[in-house]
Amino acid sequence: MDSILQLMHGFTVALQPMNIMWVTIGGVLGTIIGMLPGLGPATGVAVLLPLTFSMGPVAALITMGGVYYGAMYGGSRASILLNTPGDGAAVAATFDGYPMTKQGRAEAALAISAIASFIGGVIATVFMVLVSVPVARFAIKFGAAEYFQLYVFALAATASMNKGNRVKGFIAMIIGLMIATIGIDAQSGVKRFTFGILELQSGIDFLIVIIAIFALGEVFKSFKNIREGKANIQKDFGKIWISRKEWKRSVLPILRSAPLGFFIGALPGAGGTMASLMSYNNERQLSKHPEEFGEGAIEGLAAPESANNAASVGAMIPMLTLGIPGSGTTAVMMGALMILGLKPGPLLFQQQPTIIWGLIASMFLGNIILAIVNIPLAGGLVRVLSVPPKILYPIVLGLSFVGAYAISYSVMDFYILLIFGVLGYLMGKAKIPTSPLILAVIVGNNMEQSFRRAFTISDGTLGIFFSSPICIVLFALTIISVGYPLVKSAILAAKNQS
Amino acid sequence: MRRMRRMSRIMMIIAAAAIMLTASTAVFANGQGEASAENYPSGNLDFVAPGGAGGGWDLTIRTTAKALKDTKLVNVPMPVRNNPGAGGSVHLASLQEMKGEDRTITVYSSPLLLTKLNGTTDLGHNDVTPLACLIADYASFVVAANSPYNSMADIMNALKNDIKSVKIGGNSSAGSMDHLQFLLMAKAAGVQNLNQIDYVSFDDSAVAQVLGGHIDLFSTGLSEIASLVESGDLKALGQTAGHRVGTGVIAEIQTCKEQGIDATFINWRGIFGPPEMPEYAVTYWRNTLKELVQTDEWAQAKTTNGWDDAYMDAPEFAEFLDQANADYESILKEIGMIK
Repeated sequence: MDSILQLMHGFTVALQPMNIMWVTIGGVLGTIIGMLPGLGPATGVAVLLPLTFSMGPVAALITMGGVYYGAMYGGSRASILLNTPGDGAAVAATFDGYPMTKQGRAEAALAISAIASFIGGVIATVFMVLVSVPVARFAIKFGAAEYFQLYVFALAATASMNKGNRVKGFIAMIIGLMIATIGIDAQSGVKRFTFGILELQSGIDFLIVIIAIFALGEVFKSFKNIREGKANIQKDFGKIWISRKEWKRSVLPILRSAPLGFFIGALPGAGGTMASLMSYNNERQLSKHPEEFGEGAIEGLAAPESANNAASVGAMIPMLTLGIPGSGTTAVMMGALMILGLKPGPLLFQQQPTIIWGLIASMFLGNIILAIVNIPLAGGLVRVLSVPPKILYPIVLGLSFVGAYAISYSVMDFYILLIFGVLGYLMGKAKIPTSPLILAVIVGNNMEQSFRRAFTISDGTLGIFFSSPICIVLFALTIISVGYPLVKSAILAAKNQS
Repeated sequence: MRRMRRMSRIMMIIAAAAIMLTASTAVFANGQGEASAENYPSGNLDFVAPGGAGGGWDLTIRTTAKALKDTKLVNVPMPVRNNPGAGGSVHLASLQEMKGEDRTITVYSSPLLLTKLNGTTDLGHNDVTPLACLIADYASFVVAANSPYNSMADIMNALKNDIKSVKIGGNSSAGSMDHLQFLLMAKAAGVQNLNQIDYVSFDDSAVAQVLGGHIDLFSTGLSEIASLVESGDLKALGQTAGHRVGTGVIAEIQTCKEQGIDATFINWRGIFGPPEMPEYAVTYWRNTLKELVQTDEWAQAKTTNGWDDAYMDAPEFAEFLDQANADYESILKEIGMIK
């Protein structure tokens, strides 16, 4: 009851005209930044930093929060329309979003993306009001062994994802894991595969790999179309909305993915990328038509969109309740709060209730504003599909380089971008799926480091990986997610025989 | 058809070039002020954090820029950019291409010395121009509220009985600051076989690990633990300054010296210019920073962030760096991190 009263007070803060303006500016800016490849919420918040110094702490937090979940709305636009995700959390949106576009259903894809983001964001904010402290306390139960099991589960999810050749899927995954080992190994201080190149010491940023494989991959593929003088994908555009049938298919996945995304987001270090990929896999396993996933199943887009927005809300929990940055973006936000004289930590809720509840209330408001803004915005954006490829793809190419540069302002990243772009193209030619590679690059380093941490903590005994209920549950989920499709296809095969 | 193709190729190049150009001007928003002694500084300055946004260096340089602006000591724009990578070594390398430049101002701390010592880079404190040391942070060692350890002596005794019994966690990688600062204390306390101590590196989540009881002790900066110590979630066993620091709960934390461990560890943070920075610019920054540290705004910033005063003017700072470098080197050799 107390939190409801506090929330009401928060609304009086959030509904001040200036704060409504800030959340709108933050949200729209985030949407735009999220649309550009490589520029995600962390960059968006960092760009805003100097501006926030002249604001009060409430306005600063509200604006930065708006950028964060705004970027989740925007991130999937390019995934859906051009197969070029803006950041990790938007990768899952390519799996079914882009096939929908190719089938001429871009309007529905954009609509469900905004709707799912909205519902996911609102549900997660409700959770934040009700259970943020217990969730934060549960999240710290995740030690190295639990994280390792979580990453294995996420990786197993994609391994079982390829419909085609399983061996090729595994090859892609192994390449990804190999890429993830590049850089200084934090546990020993040893440099691995850096070839004396300074920039490689911090490893290869998975965003570069994502931009290279998706965006450059699309550009390379477009060469052929441009040569043949092929026209644009789509000329006539309908309303940005979905049919009743599409809504029926999406509603449960959206509702299920929001709590999952919220919780994964609240785990320090897991974040929106993991949340969206896990919810995608989850829905594919639960679906009655798993074969439609990857071919434009609308629930395959709705679920990760709901999850990644929920995760961006969840990620604020460790920051606000414990003073722990849960993600790259919240790390930047925490820095900004400290410069403004706030001390994020367990006492923040008591010492600064106005700020916290103002932020939470603004998240309800921000999601409503973003949903309203995003539907008409999508109506304009979808027309990008009518741009002739010979104009569109050079722009995508340019944006890819800008995005890669913005990650760490390093020219070396251009070379890495090109190398992986070519690799992605060749993999496409050899019909090797790229998603397992991407996921392996995203989780590979964390997975390895978690394993090594757990191993050190347990003095080299493997028992630690099964020492807690969380570990065992995650392990069981991994077994189910790998084994279930195999068992199912075996049963089907047996049925067909008889 | 052929012309079409050529057209499209040209279009592509123009589009790419245009985008690159806008982006690069946005990133290096540098007013090309005339560099000279009389009107320095004019145009935009270039403040750089050699680490990512939200980190310690980022916080220091942004706070410095903000204080310089608020006190009107510097009246030209001071945009801050990040040039992260390899523990600051990437920026150190790019500074070498700015020899004799007067616009770029950057921050460094102990890793400036450590990255050269552990072989990450060949560049060190002699490849930048020290302008002033501003602040110091110290190491602190914290445990979960329900931990059986209540003092640094408890930790050291446990290690003496069984070197594997206490798992130390930190955010920096093995051989870097969080690791080194604990080993320094362990050495001073008489713990043998320092290289056998288990140190676990977490990217930036070690504090969650100590809260959850997954590691026994978290080795970190004193300014980073205030809120969790205040709330009673963490117990601080000791800090590494030579004196009590700060206010409130931080001031209650005993020094290692008080607990009979005769060692200190200072994580200084200073302001640097590029190598061979022109004399007029060096003089300007020495004077400006000397004024800055006497202002109320700076005092306020120090309190907020839990920073201790460690102001040193350039000549004194340069000497200090030589000494610190020699100290770290001998310790790293002793614990076998440098062969």
